[in-house]
Amino acid sequence: MVVELTINGNAYELEAPVGRTLAEVLRLDLGLTGTKIACGEGHCGACTVQLDGVPVLSCITLVHTVGDREVTTIEGLREHPLVEAFVEADATQCGFCTPGQIVTASALLAANASPSDDEIRHAMAGNLCRCGTYPKIERAIHTVAGDGGGS
Amino acid sequence: MARLIKTEKEVEGRYSEQWVVVEEDALEQWPEGPLRTVGRPATRVDGLARARGEARYTQDIQLPGMLHAAVLRSPHARARVKQIDLTTASELAGVRGAVGPGELDVLTDEPNYEGEAVAAVVADTADHARAALEEISIEWEVLEPLLDVDQALARESFLSDPKLYERGDIERGFAEADVVVEAEYRTQSVLHNALETHQTICEWEGETVNVYTSTQWLWGVRDEVAAAFDLPKDKVRVICRFMGGGFGAKGSAGDYTMIAAELARRTGRPVHCRLDRREENVNSGNRNPTIQKLRLGARSDGILTALSADYVCLLGWDGWLPPTAGPVQMLYACDNVRTVEYGVRLNSPPMDAFRAPGFVEGTFGLECALDELAAKLDLDPLELRRRNHADHDPLDERPFSGKQLMECYRRAEPHWERRHEVHARADGPWKHGVGIATQLWYGGGGPPSYAWVRLAGDGTATVLTAMQDIGTGTRTAMAQIAAEELGLPVERVTVELGDTAHGPYAVVSGGSSTTPSMGPAVRAAAGDVARQIREIAAQRFDVEERVLSLAEGKVINADGGSWLLEEITGLLEDGQILGKGARGPNPAGMRVMTYGIQVAEVAVDVETGEVVVERIYAVHDIGRVINPLGAESQIEGGIIQAIGHSLSEQRLLDPRSGKVLTRTLDAYKLPTIADVPEIVSELVDVPDAHLTNLGSKGLGEPPIVPTAAAIANAIRDATGADVRSLPITREEMLGALHEADERRRVPERVGAAPA
Amino acid sequence: MELLRPDSAEAAAAALGNGSVALAGGTELVPLLRDGIVRAEKLVELRDVVPRGVDGTRIGAGTTLAELEVDPDIPQALREACSLAASPQLRSMSTLGGNLLQATRCWYWRLNFPCYLHGGDTCHAKAGQHREHAIFGNERCASAHPSDPAAALLALGARLRTTSREFSLVDLYRLPTDEERNVTALEPGEVILELDVPRPEASVYLKAMERRKWSFAIVGVAAARFADSIRLGLAGVAPIPWALSSVDDLEQATPLLGTAYKVQIARALVRRAVEAVSAPAGA
Repeated sequence: MVVELTINGNAYELEAPVGRTLAEVLRLDLGLTGTKIACGEGHCGACTVQLDGVPVLSCITLVHTVGDREVTTIEGLREHPLVEAFVEADATQCGFCTPGQIVTASALLAANASPSDDEIRHAMAGNLCRCGTYPKIERAIHTVAGDGGGS
Repeated sequence: MARLIKTEKEVEGRYSEQWVVVEEDALEQWPEGPLRTVGRPATRVDGLARARGEARYTQDIQLPGMLHAAVLRSPHARARVKQIDLTTASELAGVRGAVGPGELDVLTDEPNYEGEAVAAVVADTADHARAALEEISIEWEVLEPLLDVDQALARESFLSDPKLYERGDIERGFAEADVVVEAEYRTQSVLHNALETHQTICEWEGETVNVYTSTQWLWGVRDEVAAAFDLPKDKVRVICRFMGGGFGAKGSAGDYTMIAAELARRTGRPVHCRLDRREENVNSGNRNPTIQKLRLGARSDGILTALSADYVCLLGWDGWLPPTAGPVQMLYACDNVRTVEYGVRLNSPPMDAFRAPGFVEGTFGLECALDELAAKLDLDPLELRRRNHADHDPLDERPFSGKQLMECYRRAEPHWERRHEVHARADGPWKHGVGIATQLWYGGGGPPSYAWVRLAGDGTATVLTAMQDIGTGTRTAMAQIAAEELGLPVERVTVELGDTAHGPYAVVSGGSSTTPSMGPAVRAAAGDVARQIREIAAQRFDVEERVLSLAEGKVINADGGSWLLEEITGLLEDGQILGKGARGPNPAGMRVMTYGIQVAEVAVDVETGEVVVERIYAVHDIGRVINPLGAESQIEGGIIQAIGHSLSEQRLLDPRSGKVLTRTLDAYKLPTIADVPEIVSELVDVPDAHLTNLGSKGLGEPPIVPTAAAIANAIRDATGADVRSLPITREEMLGALHEADERRRVPERVGAAPA
Repeated sequence: MELLRPDSAEAAAAALGNGSVALAGGTELVPLLRDGIVRAEKLVELRDVVPRGVDGTRIGAGTTLAELEVDPDIPQALREACSLAASPQLRSMSTLGGNLLQATRCWYWRLNFPCYLHGGDTCHAKAGQHREHAIFGNERCASAHPSDPAAALLALGARLRTTSREFSLVDLYRLPTDEERNVTALEPGEVILELDVPRPEASVYLKAMERRKWSFAIVGVAAARFADSIRLGLAGVAPIPWALSSVDDLEQATPLLGTAYKVQIARALVRRAVEAVSAPAGA
């Protein structure tokens, strides 16, 4: 079954069976491997992408339900200030969760330009990091928010 | 002139002797304090690649024609395959091959734990492969698994002989004690759950096999694959430039590695074999559970007279006894010590190294018991630890190469003092408390490890070494070390790693050994290049070599004047200056350890059993700190992992079948960003004067060691309740609170006057 | 597998059954399909045909939890229940209707053991590992219902309107029996369209979790006060969302050895929830 997608501003058309997930299409069919699969069942947030700016789990999103919603992946956020902020804050260790973290954090900042610590924790709770970069992720988000620190 | 000597080397608490080739002209250590690059915060040289999603992990690699393997793993904790037929599965559309027990050593027809590999199929897609598993015709004889530890002890089901250690006279030690504390502690099975699962892609090129794998040890995998396929070692090339976490579970090849290699060999195509998250949680190792019986004796002035510990370690079907008794044996000065460690064999998935194996578990019991002792002695817990400080290695009186634990205690003092204001925060059902715990761990590293440095005509340097960066930031630390030695800004140093074809041997990234093993090798290699630069410059500009030094991208003449480095290197055009370096020996006759202390502040809701960790202060001594920014991240990461095993993580098995129940990341509860306390950390940062040309030890493991005990001690401070079992779930906390209530009621029950 | 996109809720309802299952947010269905616990030949997409949004006391079943967690016009208990449910991404994807119909997190059920709820005759949890399981209604099955919004809606006395009828939320759920293992009482060709949620004087949702966020309820307690009576709805304590009228009802709990601690937690949370919604003294 044919599916049309808009990903990072680019139009794609491809064949995919019903049941194929957006994550599989991104990683395997389109070679966009920035989006990671760590659990494949919606529990860890590593696969997070945005649909019309809303963070969702691509590993449990059936590609045929995306419709005309705009898909944003980490590849579409290359120049986002969060990328440099993560590097400056040392918010990546193994880096496997990092794309999902940045995708979620960028949506947070788009909706709330200066989030409090509690708001950050609430919005980012679905992105697990086993290396424990959380304090640095908070620091990176505050840096981009321009408020230099938590509340 | 090369010399051959023997040196002592430790990995994960296991000591061995190692022959090492020693080069002359060993470099002197740098002076203490931040230098131009080393000792200053540096952002990760590969951070941008990771943050942009451009870093390619094993899971991201797609080779032309690549096939996907799926593994039939035993659903039974103990069983025998009566009959297996792969024919139907092999003939399905899209399936390109299959392999069964008897054809590969990692496949068995008598599995002894759930998840043990029995057979595998390979197909065009992962979905095809998994579907094909359903078509494998297999008949099981399900057998009764050994799961109960008491039964196992009665049957003496051990992986190896119990380990007994004694020093002094334990009976006399307890006889001399004024106060004795005796308690049982338990720790749970903890799953690593690195976000990138275990996986390998194998591709044969004629007689060579390329092994792309998510690993902590390229060279270990190389040796294992070479042995399994009867190949000369250099016909196995192992590649891992980025990997998504290991924490100890990826220190060797796995069944998936051998399956990929064999199926790639048979099909002539690259094969990717990957564990999914559920397989990961069944069969990729765990920190083994322990049951600990501790007995501590001390004089009324707090001096320890006797330490006795029995450790029952539930290793599972395979594995090894981690050094659980290490803290009791080594942390404090005590003349009379006796430990016994049992490695129990059960039909459960085997243990594997997990960030300070043995010491996390052993420190929990010891540091909690020590606080119970302090309470009985009516002695400040920090003071109790000071009084039992070991100035020499308690095992054999060796001097320490470097030990700053008393300095750690001094720095922790003001954070410990906070307990008075913390207690005052009590509000309704919430009680607040503060607890401390000391840690020791290894982290000295050892030979062999090697590096090459290549300086190009444009004055940029490349460090070449086949080591790993498992997320700890070793790439960056090596760049800083080379940059420092060459007098270059770190931006002009590139580090190539992760490919056994592209560099010399490197140590496993485990046991906190990368920085202390690779770092000196990198410095030596850079030093070799630096020496050549000075020699060339001396000839070129007709000055004496001894007045020349390298700094700020220049060759500097102490008598005045300087030249840009490119003026030397530019002479060579396409020529390069090449340097090599090796990790030298460990200091003879000395014990090399790392130390630290953490102070935890917690709040406990005594009605619901909720425990909130509000603050952790950590100070660690690991010798010279190469990158303070990366070091802070290691400390935070270790503490956060510790909060996981302190409060919410546990692998649960169905008691009847032995099956793993916590296979998914909603059932197995890792800390989220919301679970992170305020973390304040320091590093003493005094170089270990005897250890290598750097004086640096590893930091990967020390921070995870004492946190659980500090939390448990803080809970006791807040509520009077003794928590002796991890994780500290609601049930555990409420149970401990009940017991504490009961203890307070006892004087009334026997008619004594209320306290 | 086929994906059907009917153009009305009635058409969607008619398409269900006989190997066709309803797909809303997919957060429950997609993993269950991939695990083989649910098998379907056709997926019937509900997204465009089920009402979505809040209109007075009516809430479309297609409204996401993320939309509800920030809505100031819905009762506090429902808003808080949505805010504490799952993870942010899951809340953005999942619908209220789907959330009410979700299955237990019991590991035996989720790992497809042939348990009572799956049609077998053993509750593996009872003799096995049951620390997350029930303290009520657990005679045949000890599973716990995880839905936080359901607990809130139970306390609020919500009513459902489906493609075929209207009824009280409490009638959506039934304990599993030998004849009928399904804990939800929707008929095969029936789709939830909207809920009618009365406005209480005060309401609150308190949730005990294993970690501070993104955790199914150990015990979740919703309390809602209408006039002088307070109703309670609990998550995580029974195979279905469980109604209580006071803390005294906890005396009727039938905990397992490994769930006894939940009774204590429930007691504390019920007391706190009742206090939070009680009329100020003298009012």
